[in-house]
Amino acid sequence: MSPAHYIALAVILFVIGGVGVLVRRNALVVFMCVELMLNAVNLAFIAFARMHGALDGQVIAFFVMVVAAAEVVVGLAILTSIFRTRRSASVDDANLLKY
Amino acid sequence: MTGSLAATLVRPAMALTTLPAVGAQHAAWLLLAFPAFGAIVLLLGGKRTNAWGHLLGVAMALGAFVVGVLAFVQMLGYPASQRSRDLHLYSWIPVAHFQVSIGLLLDPLSICFVLLITGVGSLIHIYAIGYMSHDPERRRFFGYLNLFITAMLLLVLSDNYVGLYAGWEGVGLASYLLIGFWQYKPSAAVAAKKAFIANRVGDVGLSLAIMAMFATFGSVSFTGVFGAVGGASHGVTTAIGLLLLLGATGKSAQLPLQSWLLDAMEGPTPVSALIHAATMVTAGVYLIVRSAPIFNLAPDARLAVAIVGAVTLLFGAIIGCAKDDIKKALAGSTMSQIGYMMLAAGLGPIGYALAIAHLLAHGFFKAGLFLGAGSIKHSMNDEVDMRRFGGLATVMKITFVTFGFAYLAIIGIPPFSGFFTKDPIIDAAYSRGGVSGALLGTAALLGAGITAFYMTRIMLMTFTGKRRWEDAAHPHEVGPVMTSPMIILAIGSLGAGGFLMISNRLINFLAPVVGTPPLSHGFFTPLSFLSLALVVVGGALAWAMYGRREVPVTAPHGNPITVAARKDLYGDAFNESVLMRPGQWLARLSVFFDNRGVDGLVNTLAATLGGTSGRMRKVQTGFVRSYALSMLVGAVLLIGALLLVRL
Amino acid sequence: MTGSFAALAPVIPTPHIEYGQLSPMLLVFGAAIVGVLVEAFAPRSLRRSLHLALTLGSLAGAFVLTIVIATSSTLFAGGSAGHIAAMGAVAVDRPTLFIQGTILVLAFISVLLIAESSHDVSAFAAQAAAVPGSPEEREGLLAGISHTEVYPLTLFAIGGMLLFPASNDLLTMFVALEVLSLPLYLLSGLARRRRLLSQEAAMKYFLLGAFSSAFFLFGIAMLYGFSGSVKLGAIAAAASGNTASSVLLYAGIALIGVGLLFKIGAVPFQSWKPDVYQGSPTPVTALMASCTLVSAFGALLRVFYVAFGQLTWDWRPAMWAVAIVTMLGGAIIAITQTDVKRLLAYSSIAQAGYILTGVIAATTAGLSSSMFYLAAYGIATIGAFAIVTLIRDPGGEAGHLSSWAGLGKRSPLVAGTFAFFLIAFAGIPLTSGFSSKFAVFQAAAASGGLPLVIIGVISSAIIAFPYVRVIVLMFFSEPAPDGPIVVRPSAYTSLAVGVGVLATLVLGFIPEPLLRLAHDAAAQLFVR
Repeated sequence: MSPAHYIALAVILFVIGGVGVLVRRNALVVFMCVELMLNAVNLAFIAFARMHGALDGQVIAFFVMVVAAAEVVVGLAILTSIFRTRRSASVDDANLLKY
Repeated sequence: MTGSLAATLVRPAMALTTLPAVGAQHAAWLLLAFPAFGAIVLLLGGKRTNAWGHLLGVAMALGAFVVGVLAFVQMLGYPASQRSRDLHLYSWIPVAHFQVSIGLLLDPLSICFVLLITGVGSLIHIYAIGYMSHDPERRRFFGYLNLFITAMLLLVLSDNYVGLYAGWEGVGLASYLLIGFWQYKPSAAVAAKKAFIANRVGDVGLSLAIMAMFATFGSVSFTGVFGAVGGASHGVTTAIGLLLLLGATGKSAQLPLQSWLLDAMEGPTPVSALIHAATMVTAGVYLIVRSAPIFNLAPDARLAVAIVGAVTLLFGAIIGCAKDDIKKALAGSTMSQIGYMMLAAGLGPIGYALAIAHLLAHGFFKAGLFLGAGSIKHSMNDEVDMRRFGGLATVMKITFVTFGFAYLAIIGIPPFSGFFTKDPIIDAAYSRGGVSGALLGTAALLGAGITAFYMTRIMLMTFTGKRRWEDAAHPHEVGPVMTSPMIILAIGSLGAGGFLMISNRLINFLAPVVGTPPLSHGFFTPLSFLSLALVVVGGALAWAMYGRREVPVTAPHGNPITVAARKDLYGDAFNESVLMRPGQWLARLSVFFDNRGVDGLVNTLAATLGGTSGRMRKVQTGFVRSYALSMLVGAVLLIGALLLVRL
Repeated sequence: MTGSFAALAPVIPTPHIEYGQLSPMLLVFGAAIVGVLVEAFAPRSLRRSLHLALTLGSLAGAFVLTIVIATSSTLFAGGSAGHIAAMGAVAVDRPTLFIQGTILVLAFISVLLIAESSHDVSAFAAQAAAVPGSPEEREGLLAGISHTEVYPLTLFAIGGMLLFPASNDLLTMFVALEVLSLPLYLLSGLARRRRLLSQEAAMKYFLLGAFSSAFFLFGIAMLYGFSGSVKLGAIAAAASGNTASSVLLYAGIALIGVGLLFKIGAVPFQSWKPDVYQGSPTPVTALMASCTLVSAFGALLRVFYVAFGQLTWDWRPAMWAVAIVTMLGGAIIAITQTDVKRLLAYSSIAQAGYILTGVIAATTAGLSSSMFYLAAYGIATIGAFAIVTLIRDPGGEAGHLSSWAGLGKRSPLVAGTFAFFLIAFAGIPLTSGFSSKFAVFQAAAASGGLPLVIIGVISSAIIAFPYVRVIVLMFFSEPAPDGPIVVRPSAYTSLAVGVGVLATLVLGFIPEPLLRLAHDAAAQLFVR
């Protein structure tokens, strides 16, 4: 299979992730969708690295994984504290700040 | 081609080379420093300065006046071609190849304004000592007055448009603070806001004009712009001219941004005299005359100026006929008189100097009228309804005489000022020729008659007839600190016009800046007799209506014209029905937007914006998913836009 | 086949790190790590003072180091535009140093606000983990404790902000973006009062921020696919020689743009700004409104000037559209705001639009005027938010404008200062707001952006309305009987406000020195 197919797959995964952010209510699932988008990008990096015959893309993927892990730590802390307060994980319930 | 024709009629309108200032003029920065110092001390000094604050304020205004006189005397010593002197202070905004320096330009035009602002300003400062003597916030009032003087001097002295704009905004701020000075009156707060908004609309015009100048000529200094304006296309000069006109209409209360001036009378009367009659509102005329080299090349823009002036002079005069509040009647009159000046300025080289002459003469007599009205108000428990006046001539003799002088000046009875400055404007308008000349001239002529009517009406209702005072009112002549400025202004009302105009004194003085008009005028022409006849008719009509008959304490219903005029000629109502209704369904959606005083073009604009805003803020739903959606849509649009450009 | 072991092992060259040139960032990051240790080992009673000394000391030290580097004779010897340090990852050039210096000064003032502790112990929660309204929370409040973790978090964020505009490759930029964002997500959830709003702000900021950085990263991947490198210079080189396959390039530019425009709060990526500004602790809002904005604009300028510098004609139309809707949208929605922090947020959105007009100019004048604007606006906005912290009611800060009615009568100095900041934001001459707007608008007009300037002028006329409403409310309305109290500012807050007023005045009257500095810094644009 040519690397171009992987790029197409990455785009599809990215779009699925993006749509997931829009349609899912559970904050955790929304967050997982963001992670899906990041991993789609990782796939794209690796496919491009293969196309260019260079290793940079694969190294970048490692960086992204580390950053994503840090993001999980921060994100889960915030989501947990808001869940403990509201007893709800729905992003639509946090709706005090508006207009 | 008419533009270049006009340009050949006059000598190069602006001496493009200015010489550095020396001697007493080198100290011209003190003109700004004195009142600025006063404003800073009085506004930051707090209550500690209460005891002597007003004296400091007066001293600073007088100090500036002395500096102005010294600079003027020095200027008279130079030959006419060397009278433009530049005083470079420092580089303000140096961006790349573009420099804005703060510099002062002392030339015949600016010195006229300096003398008017500091001279009349000092008199009004002195008057305010007495007028505001019972006000606990008198110190703050003087601080604002000093602030105003600083800003106004910056406006007329700057040697570039950005400095002028800084002063322009500064006088707007001071005017705003002073209109709302009695902030406990809700009407004052509303009026202040209205003034701010109207001026803001005008300011957009001015700032766009400056940006357009920069984009076209690469400069905003007077010398830079006027030096390059000859190479600009007709469309550009016309556009800049119209934008400058928009700026001028806002500040000078000309149609369609006129409505704020009537409301501005909520401010203390010295403010009405200084800012809303003698000086600030004439800044628009200054702007047009200062930009003469641009307008010389933009005949269409000039015609627009003249039309705005002519329409406003009739509009203001008619409003002046129907108002029972003496200050509002005078405000209508101010609008109308500035209309004369705008008309003159719009006539081009023939009229620039006439506009300034009328402006200076108006500074004296209108300030005198307002100070007179102020002293009446002061002695009558703040009563301003003329139907409650009457018979005051005997109790307030000095006020009556000084007011009378100013009255004779404004209606143009020789040898008082107005005769020498107003009739040449009418004459010049007719000399324009063609249909437009005839229409403009007739408007100005009719305006003279209406002026006589409403001013006679004010005189009769206030000073003659039966005493219709409220029981609590005990009118008395005010103290010398208030009467002496009135007396000086009355002398000015008598002599200023003749002094300026006989043997073309002012015209020749201003010639290096605005060019020499192609023809000079005699004063006792057939036209001036016609104008005098109209004045007599107007006065007689007023006497027939208000002098011979009893003035009822409550206003009669009146004929349709009177009713219309009382409502500011439906200016606000018109705006409301044409512009407001379509915007209203938007406005209804707004929850918090302040709808008080939704009247007039500018407030319509505000309401429409408020309605749009109220609707747009609903987009911010508070749901994080809808935010994400807007981001996604934005991202898609951005990608699409970039790819489209490439296709 | 018989090669020795040494020959088989690939030779990895030791990376060359210019420690001297990177010292400001290293100092800030180092201090942040020491801060973590302080948090772990120092007794509670000492923590705050230790943190404060460490934070302010490191920021001041970093500022001094920045000046030392900027005046270095070797770095810019022979008319060099600068140097690319750390194996091509970090650029050290004059615009970057100017931006970093600005960030450090603004951060120093923001930290003063963060350190304010006189009127409510602190602006930060006692225990962020405690459920609002629970006994644990009450205990923490009563004990008068607060999170001192805010100091190292702030330092990490500031370190990220310093690195963000200096990144010479997109990967470093992405890491810097996350380093600056993650601590801010946490900080915005740490308000002591109105915990629910604060938590909501943190969640929204986090989810949307993560969403936007996914776009940013995808953009990096596209550009990597296009050029085979993530270095800005290599991308520029590939773009200028580009003949075919431009979808990757343009989609990449757009997606990178999304990430950066999100950070500056341009419409239509602005929606987080009002909510997060309102919900966050006000000192953190001040930090975001000043330092983050400067940093994000710095990165935006670098990417669009260096990597996409040859493609100006391609990205300009889209950026024009963004600038126009940002200026108008921010100004119009600001009119009906009823919360002072939201009003300032929309004001900040509109200001971002004005700065964008300078960015779009893509000239040295555009760069220098944008940098000047950022410095002038940043310092004024901190001052304005500092005033907001002083107006308090029993629930904390009194954000709703109705409680600001009549403030001018109760506390003329505080109300007057706030009015002064609003006047500066409205761009009235002789304040820094005018000189900075004038500078960006003239840069835009000089490079063919006259329509943008017209919209900008109209927008700044519109946004004067809400400012005037607030001024009218403060000075011309009767105070409510149960209105808020105006607390006496401590030395920290007074200093922040005082610096803001002074800078706004000085930059309005004599903007020349700073403008000249910005101009000199921008003369050679960015190092490539």
